[in-house]
Amino acid sequence: MTTTEIPAAARTGKPSTPPKRPGKRQREGAAWVFLSPWVLGAAVLTLLPMAVSLYLSFTDYDLFNPPQWVGLRNYTQMFTEDPRYWRSVVATLTYVVIAVPLQLGLALVVALALKSMRRGKGFYRSAFYAPSLLGASMSIALVWRAIFNDGGTVDNLLGTGGWVNKPGWALFTVALLTVWQFGAPMVIFLAGLQQIPTELYEAAAVDGASRWRQFLSITVPMLSPVIFFNLVLQTIQAFQVFTPAFAVSAGKGGPADSTLFYTLYLYDRGFVASHMGYASAMAWTLLLVIGAVTAVLFRTSRSWVFYASEGDR
Amino acid sequence: MPGNRTRKSWPPRRTAKPRPFRTTTATATLLALCAAATALTACSDTGESSSAGGNVVLRYTWWGNPDRAARTQEAVDLFQKKNPDIVVQTSFSGYDAYKQKLATQAAGGDAPDVMQLDYRMIDQYASGGVLLDLGKQQAVRTEEFDRGLLATGVVDGKQYAVPQARGTETVVYDTKAWESSGVEKPRKGWTWSDWADAMRALAERTGKPGATDPGQSEDAFEVWLRGQGKALYTKDRELGFTADDLTRWWTFTDKLRREGAVAPAEQTTQLDGTVENTPLGRGKSVSDFNWDAPSSGYVALVPTGVTLAPMPSGEDGTPGQYFKPSMFMGVAADSGHPEESAKLIDFMLNDREAAKILGATRGIPVNESIRTTLAPELKDFDKTVADYQASVDGTLNAPPQAPPSGDSALQTTFQRDYDQVSYERLSPREAAENYITEAKAELRS
Repeated sequence: MTTTEIPAAARTGKPSTPPKRPGKRQREGAAWVFLSPWVLGAAVLTLLPMAVSLYLSFTDYDLFNPPQWVGLRNYTQMFTEDPRYWRSVVATLTYVVIAVPLQLGLALVVALALKSMRRGKGFYRSAFYAPSLLGASMSIALVWRAIFNDGGTVDNLLGTGGWVNKPGWALFTVALLTVWQFGAPMVIFLAGLQQIPTELYEAAAVDGASRWRQFLSITVPMLSPVIFFNLVLQTIQAFQVFTPAFAVSAGKGGPADSTLFYTLYLYDRGFVASHMGYASAMAWTLLLVIGAVTAVLFRTSRSWVFYASEGDR
Repeated sequence: MPGNRTRKSWPPRRTAKPRPFRTTTATATLLALCAAATALTACSDTGESSSAGGNVVLRYTWWGNPDRAARTQEAVDLFQKKNPDIVVQTSFSGYDAYKQKLATQAAGGDAPDVMQLDYRMIDQYASGGVLLDLGKQQAVRTEEFDRGLLATGVVDGKQYAVPQARGTETVVYDTKAWESSGVEKPRKGWTWSDWADAMRALAERTGKPGATDPGQSEDAFEVWLRGQGKALYTKDRELGFTADDLTRWWTFTDKLRREGAVAPAEQTTQLDGTVENTPLGRGKSVSDFNWDAPSSGYVALVPTGVTLAPMPSGEDGTPGQYFKPSMFMGVAADSGHPEESAKLIDFMLNDREAAKILGATRGIPVNESIRTTLAPELKDFDKTVADYQASVDGTLNAPPQAPPSGDSALQTTFQRDYDQVSYERLSPREAAENYITEAKAELRS
């Protein structure tokens, strides 16, 4: 039972029903009043800009002059006439496929190590989580660039030249920066691991199951909802990777477009080339693709995510 | 072993029971309104230039190197001393970053009061209604300006920007490295093939590439193109060259790169408009192409000193380089303080003390009387720039008309397309055809 509650609680944090209920209408009114700042914020700061962006995606808008309606031209240009667009798609997909499994794998390994640790847990938890707090910042990405640039630390130690200036290596270097920020999924894994009933392991140990066997037959299935949750979250984030590539390639997605991630190219179209309509069309395409990928993940999850409550029935 | 689970689980579980709802709707409304009000007021500060302690606050932004920063700050300090009621907040960055930030600010209606502008920005910013008509600001005096240069800041009959200085391109080289190599030094009227031979010889004798790979630079390409009597753009704001021209240029530079005569792709890809990230600035090549004034940045980076030389000409001696208004100053159309902004511009352009401080950090001043009085007083690299300009003055052809709006984006496209060549992912012909397609689309829209 308990396992099912973790991801659900993490997402919504609903309190349980209060014992004495005021009238339904009164409760609803109060709820709306309390929600109003959020609702207002969502409408003005999220929904309205989204609507404007959807409109702009059908226009030619250079930031300085009023938008011109061009129908689907931005979309057709994107798919049929822009080789750089497709390079950005390939770079992004490659990145997602490399970075997400590596990051989740590392997060799980560290979470397992931390769980069975007896002393210094708090220290290591913070130490491993710190990169996630710092990592999103520009400064760390710049430091990363300096480390992997030619004449940088890695070049001096390994003599391999600057990684960020080799088209085959640059993407991997950026992925490495993301993988290093495994703190957030790690903390969630850790919470999930601690919810697995000890009795299961005790029973398995009595039956003579090896640790590896216990991991495969108890940890993975019991943890699968958490794995799924992390997978969806990190995949969505990976599709939107921006800061590390921006800093590492000095905003250009280089060398030779090898780190020209989707959002970077979107930014380039919008703010460097002043084609806001085209950039909006790219943004909406990205939204649809992320939606589709998430839907596929949810579909496949039926066959591998195990909810204890289902097993009970 | 996973058996040792402590009772203190993490994250901590919720133990306290949620309290029943007792608040009345009225109290709730009040609380919510307070929350909403706080949220709204927190967002209302837009960071717009405003009065602080009775002073007028102006935002002044520009691009450049640390040398220019120090001198600009000194001049601004003097301005503030003379105008105690005006506070000037300055900020600067490298050209690429500046270009992007300014476009974003302008589009958001948050352009700085006073901004430094490039030739390539004037058309876009003026036609987009971002700039104030300076012709109506009495404070900006332009009587002593060269008429031709002043006219480069005019769009549709209005003076949207005032040129600050003039500049021209140059071959800047590590004096010691070039001299001790024994390779013949650059001379007036040398051709592109002389240049290429010199690069090969330099690479052979110094063990370092002769120059930054110029294939990535639209500016260098323009000089090469003009040396053949062509231009980047026609009078009708269309492309002035063909895929064949660009293929020849990229084949030329690509060959030199393969021979090691110019810097490798790994160096070229790091260029971002700052001298610090050029091969010459990093001590990895003997020379570079740059504009004359920003070359002052190399002085701090190349300990053995730098020399300025003319750009190579076409094979028949046609000069490709030209004098260009190096940068402009403009005022935001929606600035709250147009008069004070105009005052700052006038000070930077016409004040004698300011001129002395600024020297030639943005090029040789366009104010003629300042130029004449300043010339003998120039020191160090400023004198180098002035002497260099004097050496080519009168031998160059007239500047092209201001580039069309789309050019601003095409500069970056040019560099990226060449990346595909220097990393050997596309042939010069394929990359050139890509560029022509992109450029035509960019200029049409």
